[in-house]
Amino acid sequence: MNFSVVGSQFFPLLINGLALGFIYVLVSVGYTMVYGVLRLINFANSEIFMLGTFATAIVSTSVFKFNQNSQPSHGMKLFIVLLCCLLASMATSGVVAVFVELIAYRRLRTKGANRLGSLISAIGTSITLSEGVRILTHSIPVASPRVLSKFYVFKIHGVGLRIDQLLTIASGLLLFIAVDRFVTKTRMGKAIRAVSMSEENSKLMGINLNRVISLTFLIGGLVTGAAAFMYMTVYEQTVFNVGFNIGLAAFTAAVLGGIGNLRGAFYGGLALGLAEEYFSALLGSQWKEITVFVVLVLVLLVKPNGLFGEAVQQTRV
Amino acid sequence: MNLTTKRTLGVAAAVALAFGSVVATTAQAAPKSATIAFLSPLTGSEAGLGQDELLGAKTAIYEYNQTNPTVKVSLLTADDQADPSVSPGVALGLAQNASVIGVVGSCCSGATKADFPAFKAGRLTVVSPSATNATLTDPKSPTNGFPFFHRVAATDAFQGPALARYANKGVTAPKDYLIDDASTYGAGLKALTTPSLKSAGVTVVGSDTVIAPASDYSATASKVVASKANVVIYFGYYSDAGKLKKALDLAGYKGAYASGDGTDDDGYITSAGATDAEGTLITSQSVPFELAAPAAVLKDFTAATGLASPAGHAYVTQAYNATNVFLTCIKSGATSRAAIQNCVATGSFTDATGSKFNFTRYGDIAQGAPVGAYLVKGGKIIPVGNA
Repeated sequence: MNFSVVGSQFFPLLINGLALGFIYVLVSVGYTMVYGVLRLINFANSEIFMLGTFATAIVSTSVFKFNQNSQPSHGMKLFIVLLCCLLASMATSGVVAVFVELIAYRRLRTKGANRLGSLISAIGTSITLSEGVRILTHSIPVASPRVLSKFYVFKIHGVGLRIDQLLTIASGLLLFIAVDRFVTKTRMGKAIRAVSMSEENSKLMGINLNRVISLTFLIGGLVTGAAAFMYMTVYEQTVFNVGFNIGLAAFTAAVLGGIGNLRGAFYGGLALGLAEEYFSALLGSQWKEITVFVVLVLVLLVKPNGLFGEAVQQTRV
Repeated sequence: MNLTTKRTLGVAAAVALAFGSVVATTAQAAPKSATIAFLSPLTGSEAGLGQDELLGAKTAIYEYNQTNPTVKVSLLTADDQADPSVSPGVALGLAQNASVIGVVGSCCSGATKADFPAFKAGRLTVVSPSATNATLTDPKSPTNGFPFFHRVAATDAFQGPALARYANKGVTAPKDYLIDDASTYGAGLKALTTPSLKSAGVTVVGSDTVIAPASDYSATASKVVASKANVVIYFGYYSDAGKLKKALDLAGYKGAYASGDGTDDDGYITSAGATDAEGTLITSQSVPFELAAPAAVLKDFTAATGLASPAGHAYVTQAYNATNVFLTCIKSGATSRAAIQNCVATGSFTDATGSKFNFTRYGDIAQGAPVGAYLVKGGKIIPVGNA
């Protein structure tokens, strides 16, 4: 075990872990919201993320004509490029998420199909989207040119915070707070929570079930799309199966925090991002996945509903 | 239909079948065409390597067929995605395809090793342009490809010491950090490089293994910075080599960055970005085709591929040489798998430069092969001599 690396690189690892963690948080919000309402694991969420990363790459290269030799942008142009990439990613993921619900889940639900049917439909949708992009791209990774110059916002004693990390952490936090406030404070948010508690009672209260479910998928998709944009800003490369590892990690984060619990997804995502960084430094990168999943199993043995599954009922969606 | 008619028809059918067999046997004795398979990643994250090598194979086939030979040769392409979990199924398909009499491929050691059971069962001869893992031809290795596997590139037993030398050339008090991708090729090259580093007095300050493909290399980059290394050597393929280089630069690493022939592909520059890729040191057994081949062959290259120049495409020379091994055998009359195997194992061949070579009992080039030194400069991988 390499404790000296963890000691000397504690803060860089912390910042890297937080940036990665906030990407996990936003993707796991997509999983947890759908689970909260439908009790369904939306396996296609990883592909919704993947499509968002491609949307970001396409907008920067095809619309704004950036390539690998381009210089990063500055000033108003930078703002416009980043905003367009973010909106394109969110719109793509949001629209795809709503279509996935309409095509793959709604009919099964209205016909009273059992959960296994929906689960297979979710897996099938995930594979269809992933393989479709694989065929279109010949499985070749797509690099996104550096639009944002990665300068350090501040640096103290060799420890600094880069602009892309700051952007990811700050916007991740703001987006999460916005979703949390929406779910807990607004009329539509209350409708989502009502459906998550009881579908039958919600119907009796006059809530339009289909509309609420579509809205849930839309919000999950939009937030996942934002995560895809952040991922591309930090890592600058995507491929047809990029969503597999990220999706698995985000789903794990959601389970760790307590799936169906919005704040659980927040803490779970951050915990997972930090754990991956510190375990990689401490034991070697090849042990990262093993240690993370061992920790997950141990946590679930002690707290089967996840870390916050029972504690924060109010934020249950 | 009465019994007599049925019998008559039965006898007629038997005679027709026997005649057909005779005709078929005669046709097998003097075939007018033969098929060579080209097996490599044509899609996937390492597709650049396979697509480059395909250029060399196409050139050789084009030249051969232009001579109007008795036996015309066609090239059957097969995509293994350089993935050891995908490749055996593709290899099995080739082994079961009776028209295929030899295989050029695969580019990558992990997939190549995984294919051996299928090719051994099908008694199908393989000549790889670039699978360099030493164990593939090591008689002591239980998973070697003997007797069907051959290759026209130097093994990593040669590349390892060359990479150790080249990565640390001109570095004062070198402190190396070694990172591999856990693949057959990457882990194998690392194991063959480390002893040379130690015997040259280089201090190895750290080591890590990142299972590729990975997206987040920030923890590894932090470890490199903490180790105060001034040389990082990555053992793996170009796509992840690029991602690691990017992470190292972002973490503030300023030292040398070197890698082996898995990184010898323009896809590395795309992956790392032109700025971050600049200055990367690469060793490769690939010989630039534009330097190795005479002008007439380069003209054929353009005719066969539609490309103006082979510059920037790795392992074209080796793929050309590997394909020509089979073509030489076919020219000498070997058109069955058994005859091809006998010819490849015992024959003498000519490479793109005009030099003669033959294979050892276990499939390596008896005369040895060079390991070149390359440098990323101006957004291109350029040869700078021998490593």
